[in-house]
This record gives sequence, structure tokens and C-alpha cells, in this order.
Amino acid sequence: MKSAVTTVVAAADAAGRFPSMSDFEAVRGSFDRAKARMEAAEKLASGIDKVTADAIDAVYSKGSYDQANKDKCTRDIHHYLRLINYCLVTGGTGPLDEWGIAGMREVIRAQVLPTAAYIEAFTHIRDRVCIPRDMDQQAATEFKGLLDYLINALS
Amino acid sequence: MLDAFSRAVVSADSKGAPIGTGDLVALRKYVADANKRIDATLAITQNVSCIAADAIAGMVCENTGMTQPGGNCYPTRRMAACLRDGEIILRYVSYALLAGDPSVLDDRCLNGLKETYMALGVPIASAVRAVEIMKVATVAIMTETNSGRKMFDGINSGSGAQCQEIAAEAASYFDRVISSLG
Repeated sequence: MKSAVTTVVAAADAAGRFPSMSDFEAVRGSFDRAKARMEAAEKLASGIDKVTADAIDAVYSKGSYDQANKDKCTRDIHHYLRLINYCLVTGGTGPLDEWGIAGMREVIRAQVLPTAAYIEAFTHIRDRVCIPRDMDQQAATEFKGLLDYLINALS
Repeated sequence: MLDAFSRAVVSADSKGAPIGTGDLVALRKYVADANKRIDATLAITQNVSCIAADAIAGMVCENTGMTQPGGNCYPTRRMAACLRDGEIILRYVSYALLAGDPSVLDDRCLNGLKETYMALGVPIASAVRAVEIMKVATVAIMTETNSGRKMFDGINSGSGAQCQEIAAEAASYFDRVISSLG
């Protein structure tokens, strides 16, 4: 699982050298953002069900998507938000890449899933993040960055 | 390979739950202790040759037959292989310590190590003894409880005593090496 620390360690191991000062600096640099990331992860974890329901209601209340897909969409949005929570913890996109995005296109095509609805839901979540009610500025930046990353991958 | 963070992710994923406040306590501590952890890792990386050479010398001193003809550290080529292995083990311990998780040590160093040593005829008891000495030396240097001069320059002043907890973690990684060989 890729994270700031494992990337550094893997590179050091590939070269057969001990961790160097620049490796330590890289690790420390990733920790500078860790406080904000963990706050975002914590707030997301505590509100994950509400955030999901809120986004699904907003998307499906317009009536432009087949209501039969609503449950599946809820399940998937919840799943992706959980992966975003993991990404916030690891400080990299590893969990999303490995468990969310790899093979995603194939699954979406095979199941004929409404990706437009997903994108709309994630855009809704991104735009609805309220500072400082939901989380502070830095935490929101980290969270929104990952939402954008996912929206890009789905597009 | 996992670190403290991805370990939390993997265990949360097996439950299908997001990582919440409870799980974040340990990770926040890891981040708060980052400087101590880096200092503790520096204690290893700045003293690799010293720790490994002392451990191998100590192992031989306790069993002088090893450097005599027929011994496992005779001729010097085999002694050199021994020193090299000591440094390799220290390298993986330093990775595990930095990552805060033993998976890199397990996957890339210990997996198959015992079988390799048995196939090569390396005396396991002696290898274990060398690792034990490395453990004691590393912990002493890390906590600055070694007799004589201070052995490393951390990036924070006056670490030493503050590295106790992380030194205990480092000791657990050496214990992992020992139990995998035993």
C-alpha cells in the first residue's frame, strides 16, 4: 500500500541503502499535512452516512436518474467515501487507486452503472463542504483534492 | 509493504468501516512522535558499521573456534558475509522503525531467512546471538544509555531519554528477527 513512508522505504530498499536525511525530510514533510488530513478523515468517518444520504437525495430528487439504481448508487458512494477516508489517513491515493479505481471502468461498463450520477453526487459533496462547520480550511482542502481526483477518474 | 497508516487502513477495510476517532489515536501519536522516530532511526543509520562489527566480534569472542580453520567464520570471506548480513538486518530494522510497522522486515528480510541459513550451513544459534548483541547495542545508543561518548546526532537536541518508547519498538523488531530464526 503506497503512502509517503512506504514510497521512501521502497526507494531506499531498491537502492540498498539506509534511509538518508532527504528520506527523513520527505517523511516529515508528509506529516506536516497529517494533522489536517486526520481531521478530515475523522469528520468524514463520523458523518459518512449522512453525507452519503444527503448527496444521493440531492441527485435523485431531480428525477433525471432511474430510481431503481438509487440503492446501488448509495452503496457505491458510501464505498468511495470510505476509500477517501483511507486516502486521507495514508496521505496518498493508494487505497483509491488499488481498491477503487483499478478495474473500475470495466465494472462500470459491464454493470451499466450511471457514472454521471456518481459524478454529480461527488460534486455535490465537494461543493457542500462548509468551512468551518464541517471541518477547517486545510482539512477541507485535503478532502476536496481527493474528491476531485475521484471525479477525474470517473469522468 | 505497510506502514502505521496503511496498516490501519488494511485492518479497517477488512471490517468495511471507515477509520474513525478511536483508530486515529495511535496514528496521531505516530505523527506527534515523528521527530523522535527519525532520531531513533538516525541512531541506527549513523552507527551501522559499529553495531554490526561489534555484534559479530562479540559472537566470535564467545566462540573463538569460529575463526579457526573449519569454523564458520573462516576464512575472512565468510566473516565478511556475516558482517554484511548484520548490516542488512539493521537496514530492514531501520525501515521498519521508520515505517512504524514490521511488514517490510517480515516480507523482505525474514521470509525464508532461516531456510537460507540452514541451507548454507550458517549456525543459527550464533546468528541469533549476533542479533541479540545488535539489539542491546542499538537500544543503548538510541536511549543514550551507552557508556562513553554520545553515539549519534539527532535532529532534535536532547532526544535520548525521550526515545525510550521507540527504542522498545526497535527492540521488538530485533526480537522478531530472533524468533523467526529460532
